[in-house]
Amino acid sequence: MPKPNLSAHPTEVVKPDDFDKFWQEIMEEVDSIPLNASIELDPLRSSEEVEVFEVKYDSLDGLRIAGWYCLPRERTKPLPARVFYPGYISEPTLPKSHAAQGYATFGAAPRGKLRSNSAFNPGYPGLLTHNINDRNQYGYKGFYIDAVRVIDVLLEQPEVDSDRIGIQGSSQGGALTLVVTALRQQVRAASAGAPYLAGVVDAFKLTRTYPYEEINDYLGIHPEHRSAIANTWNYYDCFNFAERIQCPIIVYIGLQDDVCPPETAYPLMEKIGTSNKKLYEYEGHGHDANHHEHDHVVDAFFDTQLKPARS
Amino acid sequence: MRQKDFDQFWTGIENDLISVVPEPELRELPIRSKPQFTVYGLWLSSVKGYRIFAYYSVPRGEGPFPVIYHLPNYGSVVHIPPFEERCKYICVALCHRGQRLSDEPFAAAYPGLLTLGIEAANSYIYRDIAGDCLSVVDFLKGREEVDTGRICLLGGELALWTAARRSEAAALHYTPALHYNSLKRAALTSNYPLEEFNDHLRGPASSQIYVEKTLSYFEPVHHAPKVQMPTMLVEDSEGFCDDLVQAFAGSVDRVPFQHSSYRDGVRQANWIAEKLNHDQPILPAHWC
Repeated sequence: MPKPNLSAHPTEVVKPDDFDKFWQEIMEEVDSIPLNASIELDPLRSSEEVEVFEVKYDSLDGLRIAGWYCLPRERTKPLPARVFYPGYISEPTLPKSHAAQGYATFGAAPRGKLRSNSAFNPGYPGLLTHNINDRNQYGYKGFYIDAVRVIDVLLEQPEVDSDRIGIQGSSQGGALTLVVTALRQQVRAASAGAPYLAGVVDAFKLTRTYPYEEINDYLGIHPEHRSAIANTWNYYDCFNFAERIQCPIIVYIGLQDDVCPPETAYPLMEKIGTSNKKLYEYEGHGHDANHHEHDHVVDAFFDTQLKPARS
Repeated sequence: MRQKDFDQFWTGIENDLISVVPEPELRELPIRSKPQFTVYGLWLSSVKGYRIFAYYSVPRGEGPFPVIYHLPNYGSVVHIPPFEERCKYICVALCHRGQRLSDEPFAAAYPGLLTLGIEAANSYIYRDIAGDCLSVVDFLKGREEVDTGRICLLGGELALWTAARRSEAAALHYTPALHYNSLKRAALTSNYPLEEFNDHLRGPASSQIYVEKTLSYFEPVHHAPKVQMPTMLVEDSEGFCDDLVQAFAGSVDRVPFQHSSYRDGVRQANWIAEKLNHDQPILPAHWC
């Protein structure tokens, strides 16, 4: 049987008429919440080359969110920054090695991740379907905002050059990269691998692999909620954020990805607003999206866009 | 270096397990069950009476069924085994103490778990975690629906340590991980999780001699001589496991890690099916 044309898969994602209003109201609320950021040196995790700090800041719903912040010890000029967003089940990164390359780096830990889970802990599986019937209470609302506010934390740091902030991640980290780039125009460069949460209503029909399988599990016992889920996801899908993306961006996928179906990457690329965008397609790779080799491409991309002193 | 009391140390873990009544409890998780299989939550008591959790998925139909036992990776979250696998095998995915769903009363920190109690082998957290891994095999041995002659262990060192002590398993699919040549490899990187060892050794109270001694009880080369079952050894790079491969008592298929979840996944599924004498595996649609 011939393989289906991955790039021709139709999407059922719809952009609601009030999508922009929905997010504008959320962002107005978010911008009224003081960050109250605390940054505390962690001597155990610091090394000769890099200082490591534990960060905490306030976010939606009164939650205190954690993160790791790393700085090269040798720093005289303002630093470019790189933010690392975590995958669905992975732990937040502690990006020391990139700090040693001359970046201020931040490993984000949105709500539900360890150290940000005392008040919100839907678990894995769990997050994807937490309050999924109600777009105003949906678990990803606060999760997205926690990711956005990492940029606000960085903008407060005197050692960070606010014109040289880049963000990256793979899978859920790729999704957060897309959303944050859309909602914070201060982001100057972005890299998204195997992007999750793009074309969600298409994706859960294309795969039986978790996390999307959580939606199939949920529909198995609540089949009557199918249209409500689609309605909620139209407000959260990366497709509908993509046209706001205006900075240089690279996206990479594995063409045998059973977790985040590659079919969903093509309509995403079409929708991304900037013309400075590039898709890397890797035959013979699954959800790893060939990061083993592609990480060099990502590093070179950020070195070009953000120009750290040591590159 | 293999410690003189190496065997005594591991016998101590076994004795701790024997002293605990496991009191297994199975409860169906209806939201995760499908027409092809039933998914249960499994709770049982392990070393020091700690209550651990595992996903336990059983195909519908007449058993007994072969088993794939997923030993956990390093991280707080353990996924439910793949849908396609659950259609044909009993699948077990353990959450060892400290991981989510086994995090009462002890929630592991990441980073942090890898060096917790590492000052001595008896206080090192991986001593009790090894006991957690063994206790699940003991549970499986008593189940009617389990084909006890067809159990495959899948994972890193947790799978290797289990294989060395539960010879009734039929196959081991082993990818060397954090406890293989740990300190030598940590010295070459600043990436986590191996960087946790470096962090610890930089600390004021640490002593490399004590850490090396503790890790020697967990070093794969000292466990491999007890592994008699067919083993697939997935090697990170050429020559990475030269010393280790010679140490296994049974046959070893030595293969390179391909850095592709697709290619590595297809090879793994086919190898397990062959070793458990099962029919062709079902693969995810995107892998076919």
